[in-house]
Amino acid sequence: MPTVRKVFLFVVYSVLVYLLISIFSLLFHFRWLPLERVNLISDITSKDSAVLPDSPSIEPPLEIIGKPHEDFALYNKPHLITNFSSDTTRSSLEKFTKKLFELKSGKKRKIRIAYFGDSMIEGDLLTQTLRKLLQQTFGGSGVGFIPITSQVSQFRQTANESYSNGWQDENFKTNSNNRLLYLSGHLFHSNGDWVQIKDQTITDTAVVIEKSLLCGYSEKPVSTTVNNNPFSLHATNPLNRIVLTKDLNRSVKLSLADKILPIYGISFESDSGIFVDNFSFRGITGIEFASIDSSFLRSIATNNPYDLIIFQYGVNLLFRPNDKNFSWYAKIVMPVIKKLKNCFNEADFLIVSTADRAFRYIGEYKSAIGIDSLIKVQALLAFESGSSFYNQFKSMGGTNSIVQWAAAKPSLANKDYVHPNFRGAEILGNYFYQAIINDYEKYKRTMK
Amino acid sequence: MPGFDLHAFFKQFLYDPQNPLLFNSGFFVFFFAIFITLYYSFRNDFKIRRYIFCFFSLYFFYKASGYFVLCVIISAIVDYILSNAIYRQQNSARKKFLLLCSIVFNLGMLFYFKYTNFFISICNDLLHAGFNPLNILLPIGISFYTFENLSYTIDVYRGQFEPAKKFSDYLLFLSFFPKLMMGPIVRAHDFVPQINKEYSINEKDFAKGFYLIISGLFKKLVISDFITLNFVNYIFDDPSRYTGLENLFAVYAYAAVIYCDFSGYSDVAIGIAKWLGFTIPANFKSPYQSKNITEFWRRWHISLSSWLRDYLYIPLGGNRKSTLATLLFSALFFSGALLAIFSLLNINFFFAIALSSGAILLFVLPSVIKKKEGNVLASLNLLVTMLLGGFWHGASWNFIVWGAIHGAGLAVHKIWEGLTGRSILKINNKRWYNAIAIFITFHFVCFAWVFFKAASFTDANNMIHQITHDFSFSVWPAFFNNYKPVLAMIGLAAILHAIPDSYANKVIDRFQKVPLVAYITIFFVFVLVYGFFKSAEPVMPIYLQF
Repeated sequence: MPTVRKVFLFVVYSVLVYLLISIFSLLFHFRWLPLERVNLISDITSKDSAVLPDSPSIEPPLEIIGKPHEDFALYNKPHLITNFSSDTTRSSLEKFTKKLFELKSGKKRKIRIAYFGDSMIEGDLLTQTLRKLLQQTFGGSGVGFIPITSQVSQFRQTANESYSNGWQDENFKTNSNNRLLYLSGHLFHSNGDWVQIKDQTITDTAVVIEKSLLCGYSEKPVSTTVNNNPFSLHATNPLNRIVLTKDLNRSVKLSLADKILPIYGISFESDSGIFVDNFSFRGITGIEFASIDSSFLRSIATNNPYDLIIFQYGVNLLFRPNDKNFSWYAKIVMPVIKKLKNCFNEADFLIVSTADRAFRYIGEYKSAIGIDSLIKVQALLAFESGSSFYNQFKSMGGTNSIVQWAAAKPSLANKDYVHPNFRGAEILGNYFYQAIINDYEKYKRTMK
Repeated sequence: MPGFDLHAFFKQFLYDPQNPLLFNSGFFVFFFAIFITLYYSFRNDFKIRRYIFCFFSLYFFYKASGYFVLCVIISAIVDYILSNAIYRQQNSARKKFLLLCSIVFNLGMLFYFKYTNFFISICNDLLHAGFNPLNILLPIGISFYTFENLSYTIDVYRGQFEPAKKFSDYLLFLSFFPKLMMGPIVRAHDFVPQINKEYSINEKDFAKGFYLIISGLFKKLVISDFITLNFVNYIFDDPSRYTGLENLFAVYAYAAVIYCDFSGYSDVAIGIAKWLGFTIPANFKSPYQSKNITEFWRRWHISLSSWLRDYLYIPLGGNRKSTLATLLFSALFFSGALLAIFSLLNINFFFAIALSSGAILLFVLPSVIKKKEGNVLASLNLLVTMLLGGFWHGASWNFIVWGAIHGAGLAVHKIWEGLTGRSILKINNKRWYNAIAIFITFHFVCFAWVFFKAASFTDANNMIHQITHDFSFSVWPAFFNNYKPVLAMIGLAAILHAIPDSYANKVIDRFQKVPLVAYITIFFVFVLVYGFFKSAEPVMPIYLQF
């Protein structure tokens, strides 16, 4: 056989066989995935069944106890902070918006927000936008809390950090039983180390900034140097907020020899205004706070009080594409939420849902099939614990929005289909700020 | 029961921007079957065979990039007319003018489609001009066929080649569908004489073609796609989220991906061409086994590097003399490097001047060492060639930086050769010496890939920062556990890469008597493997912190 004929016959036979297999497997519903994916004629036949399995019915892990004047379905509304009251003209974060109103009306005071989250807010993403916008509206300067060292300190835009290498870091992952970790999930011990932090957020050069150390308890005064001057720390409470310097400088350097004193971080705040502390910890779901001692939390609430606590987790529960049941999570995290609410009883508590997260299902990226179920669980947690809720998933665009964000030019999210990038996080920050402002406006209207 | 959708059927014949034609499209299977039937039936009528080939090539182009097929046709017409005019023209000044027309036309078209927006953004950055970027899409393959057009008219001008007499010869040379999108860049004097030749191939050609097509498709569609989707994309998208170890492996993985992607496409093109009776020289020869960077460029994308040598480096003056263009581009490089170092690295002006002068010095040193003062400026030709070679890959600073890094690597290798001279003759064939040389060369190439692939200069810097500042072996168990399939694929790529052409030929010699049924079986095994990986559960990223 001449070889050119062989080429011809090879192609013709292969294509004929291939075509026949394709037709037969479609006709006889032979569903074998590797074959289905390479079916030659699937593009020109009408589909008779959906590819994705139907969404599962969600069994409520916690019971919705019908209360009058409450509407659970409000959790599904985008751009809304809800406390599930059917009267949506009233503010949901009443204590918080009242304080905002006082600040805006000229009263000198500090309003502090603790923003808990996972890698979604790492590097001050989202929170930097929120902080900037809130401070523009309500006043205040300063980046808030900065941990002594961090994995992402080199990439965080809002603070410039340098430190010596000896700091010993205890945290949620390495010392999960430590009862004195800070809200950041970390506790540091010095080995004769130093740290220098510069706040990069301050634009007003005339504003006085308080640089305070957040540290644990020490029996005796601890001698340190602050900006190379000797400084004695009197850390008598479980949690202490000690002003190191108060001047026009944006940076502070602290060195200490003491190895015992638990050190948490340094906070940058002006005298009055609103401050957002970013507490990001990669890979967690919020249940980690269970280990922190309640009396220690109360000491934080007394000595470094917070007015709004935001609890944004969830994406790390969606680590397998086909998970749909998250009731186990609800059972574990509920006591944690109740504990935090109890210890910070002056603060409003707001649960923010996970943002969208996609997996590749049969070659195509789509929102995790369990995402609706997870968000419902998160909303139920808010509902049952008397917290407020903000649906970040719906606000960013709902189903498959992360796929669109990753494909956008310029892109708004990474190709892991989990993390909005800095452009995406800025959008999320803007949306969230707007939701807070809307809630604040409702309070303002009731005042008139 | 699924029904036949007539509307969808007819739509298949039109260009779909969401779904351009690729070698792995279902449509290509039918396309190729019909093409080969016609080509085989009319194999003895050269004219009809040529027309069929032209039609199918242009149709392939249309299915792959829509109306941009007109760019190919127009440039074929213009260059066909110009090359014939150059050939006939006796007056050397007019001849030169015609060549200039061809160069301006071809580069103008490439420049318009590929680089306009890049220069608009430079104008905006430097002059705060505020021009809006234009909505220009890049026609597929334009970088390749522009270079083919140029080599053609320049060869005719140099008298090295008699231009194609028939327009269809020229059109086929330019649009030959197997090499359309990603090369190799073929030369007219190799290719055109093969167009009107009897269609005949031997058993060995068939077996070699089959091997190239299947292994090429495997490299591109299975290995490259799998590693890209399940690992490389995650890390390169946001390097700062990952540890040094993950970043380092992402660079290795990308080295595998780009090799498999590029060489896989080339192999398929060369294999299909072989089946159709055309010989196209190999484009990749196990490049990562190179012992130095000069050798790397003799083994990596050979059709491009030889093009750059023949039509850029040598006209610039080669290693003997410098031309005005040499000085002009070097001055541009110096100011560009100065500006880049100054603004990107945030260091003071004098350091920036010292660094950029150092970069220039690097290129001049080899001829100083060899005491060939006359060649000092000519050494800069290498720099210019590599910069423009980098820029050819894409309109962004990253590609220019990539070209500059490779240029610097070539210069350092020349300095090394000049300094060591014969003193290392005794050891440079020893195994351990070669192992060290390959290790260093491979890592240098990988370092450059960081800039080639990273979305921005900041990302590239972050990646290098993570590898150098956040590296710990303690994350290995978790990393290994999660990415086992990806690591296996990288290993497979390394094995395929290591198979030398000579060894493949030896095996193919033995397989000559294999019956057709065996070939068809192997083909279907490949199809199923492809289907399996296309439907495989994705590997999810992990975020290692400690």
